[in-house]
Amino acid sequence: MGGTTHFGFQRVPEEEKPRRVAAVFASVADRYDLMNDLMSLGLHRLWKRFAVALAQVRPGERVLDLAAGTGDLARLLARDAGPSGQVVLADFSGPMLARGRDRLLDEGLGRGLAWVQADAERLPFADESFDCVTIGFGLRNVTRKERALAEMHRVLRPGGRALVLEFSRLRLAPLRPLYDLYSFAVLPRLGRLVAGDEASYRYLAESIRVHPDQHALEAMMREAGFEGCEHYNLCGGIVAVHRGWRA
Amino acid sequence: MDPKLLEILACPVCKGPLVYRKAEQELVCKADRLAYPIRDGIPVMLEEEARRLPADEEVE
Repeated sequence: MGGTTHFGFQRVPEEEKPRRVAAVFASVADRYDLMNDLMSLGLHRLWKRFAVALAQVRPGERVLDLAAGTGDLARLLARDAGPSGQVVLADFSGPMLARGRDRLLDEGLGRGLAWVQADAERLPFADESFDCVTIGFGLRNVTRKERALAEMHRVLRPGGRALVLEFSRLRLAPLRPLYDLYSFAVLPRLGRLVAGDEASYRYLAESIRVHPDQHALEAMMREAGFEGCEHYNLCGGIVAVHRGWRA
Repeated sequence: MDPKLLEILACPVCKGPLVYRKAEQELVCKADRLAYPIRDGIPVMLEEEARRLPADEEVE
């Protein structure tokens, strides 16, 4: 208590961030999937597939998907885990979780899936419960990222792996002004037009800029106890996938 | 409640085991005396959403 943290470019008291992030997602939950397609021109689907391929989930494995939201990663993970495996979808936001559950059940994909509302910093699972833990576009919104990474490590069995899919830092410096223009001029307008919420999409653009870059995040994962940490840049580093193992 | 999920769920505060109260739709941590609600089939494992058990409430 008493510390401050980033909420986009603002500083807010640490204890205030979860409520503000929850408000963002409660506001955008209904238009979340459509906005992802529009903002990334559909590329987010490829990024998610890439991350799931790196997860190397085998039939029968148990997977935890954090910040599972509307279930894009979980759908792919469940295919790999098969009917004898299990994918647990956890999210801090109740509205996002409910939306994801309705969507997956509508698609007839309920089998082998379970839903839990949880805080990534305080996971409600016994030690060594999972073969794989994933978090897609979620770590950025966590107040104390080091705690979330330590929790991910704790709930993995030895030999298990964690995957972090997140916006990162564009490595191609000449393209940065264009990317900034898109992020700060185009995205908030798109948010206003499509989701009726400009502020949440301004938060999105800002939160990406204050998130640790590729090397900083890799260092945080090592600090949390992960071994064999590595990262893969996608779209020149706009997005990166980090992977680490529990020894 | 999914039995395979129940196997691995723990109290987010102490990571200890939970008691499933089917009739009340709650998951109870005896050590912390917290009852986590199950809403619409989804366990809400957040301390701030949990009910604090009164001193006289027994847990099976």
